[in-house]
Amino acid sequence: MENISLALELMVVGMITVFIILMIVIQLGKWLIMGVNRIAPEQTVTHKRQTPTPAVPAADARTQAIIRAAVDRITGGRGQVKNIERLP
Amino acid sequence: MEQFTEILNRLYQMTAFSNIVENPAFLIMYALAFVLLYLGIVKKYEPLLLVPIAFGVLLANFPGGEMGIIQADSEGYVTLADGTKKLIWDMPLHDIAHELGLMNFLYYLLIKTGFLPPVIFMGVGALTDFGPMLRNLRLSIFGAAAQFGIFAVLLIAILMGFTPQEAASLGIIGGADGPTAIFTTIRLAPHLLGPIAIAAYSYMALVPVIIPLVVRLTCTKKELMINMKEQEKLHPSTTEIKNLRTLKIIFPIAVTTVVALFVPTAVPLIGMLMFGNLLKEIGSDTSRLFDAASNSIMNTATIFLGLCVGGTMTVEAFLNLQTIGIVIGGFLAFALSIASGICMVKIFNLFSKKKINPLVGATGLSAVPMASRVCNEIATKYDVKNHVLNYCMASNISGVIGSAVAAGVLISFLG
Repeated sequence: MENISLALELMVVGMITVFIILMIVIQLGKWLIMGVNRIAPEQTVTHKRQTPTPAVPAADARTQAIIRAAVDRITGGRGQVKNIERLP
Repeated sequence: MEQFTEILNRLYQMTAFSNIVENPAFLIMYALAFVLLYLGIVKKYEPLLLVPIAFGVLLANFPGGEMGIIQADSEGYVTLADGTKKLIWDMPLHDIAHELGLMNFLYYLLIKTGFLPPVIFMGVGALTDFGPMLRNLRLSIFGAAAQFGIFAVLLIAILMGFTPQEAASLGIIGGADGPTAIFTTIRLAPHLLGPIAIAAYSYMALVPVIIPLVVRLTCTKKELMINMKEQEKLHPSTTEIKNLRTLKIIFPIAVTTVVALFVPTAVPLIGMLMFGNLLKEIGSDTSRLFDAASNSIMNTATIFLGLCVGGTMTVEAFLNLQTIGIVIGGFLAFALSIASGICMVKIFNLFSKKKINPLVGATGLSAVPMASRVCNEIATKYDVKNHVLNYCMASNISGVIGSAVAAGVLISFLG
């Protein structure tokens, strides 16, 4: 009988705790969305080009993006690609 | 001639055959191991877990192989082969390896200390995307409703004669989360680890069978045809996420902090889950750590966890009435969790204009992402355009948090 009352107590306490924690997580999520939207809304990426450059073929642009991603991964984000030149 | 017979007799005693003839129950364990191997290899039911567990069962049940786990009694004493008793916590690890064998060394080092389940949770976190949950935050509450099965079966198991600690370990199967079930059982009823882990993972593998069964019993066709996207168009959400990447980085840190303050006993699970997720969300700066957490560390942990869990299933520990009770109770916990999630959605729909497909409630138990995939299949069976995967993932992921919190409550009350 004692164990049954313990089980009932655990059921009530457990379910209330799980509901409260998830409600807090939901509310926390809402606050975080509001906070992030206000403080750090995603910036639109603008491509400023100071000097006119010749149009880059699509394949080259893709290759450049792959090289940049590879360098970023290998150097753990510390390396930067400044210039990519095709060797003769 | 007499000498020859004696040599033959000694040879016979040296092999495992003498013990198997003496105790044929070993054959049942071999059959069980073969069935589990078949399910894992041929039927592909959770092969990453079932194969190591099944092989562990096989290894543990070769007499003389010393690969079976010897459980310490409630006071921490283990009985050695010569009949003497020793306090396990006074034994150095090399003594455990020497006197009890390799599997016991792994078990007392990695499992009994509670080391592996949180490590696996870190890997799970690294593979989890909280995006669907953040986009559909209100659906996350159904992850709480689906934990009802845990506590309902706790009560039923006590009525069946289990101790509160054993009943809690049995009930946690309803959380449909393997590492959580193992973590709770290690803390509360380590002698039941083998059957509970097997039941938890078997039922998780049977999610494609159990969810449709419960859904068929509890939902109408009209309810299953509720189209979430159309509801979204009719009643659009007011919350817009402008910077999901930053949000995803802050979210695991914030959730860990809040949950840790309210339920500190859930920290090993939630904390590691969120840590793994943080490594993923930071991106290239922590990509090496993410890679380790989600691949090498998780895979290594899974191998040792599976083998050790299998190793606990020795003839003495597994072949008894308690195991049958665990198999039945585990199914009940699973089914009740699914049903309670569905009921919660139905209640919600009574008071809300924006209707929710009850399948979202059915995924409130963990088993990520299989439960969501199964529910999506059910929904598209009734309406090919009704894809509920993203909505189901919201409650599915929150179910992981919910079951870890439920485990924390059980451990803090009964541990």
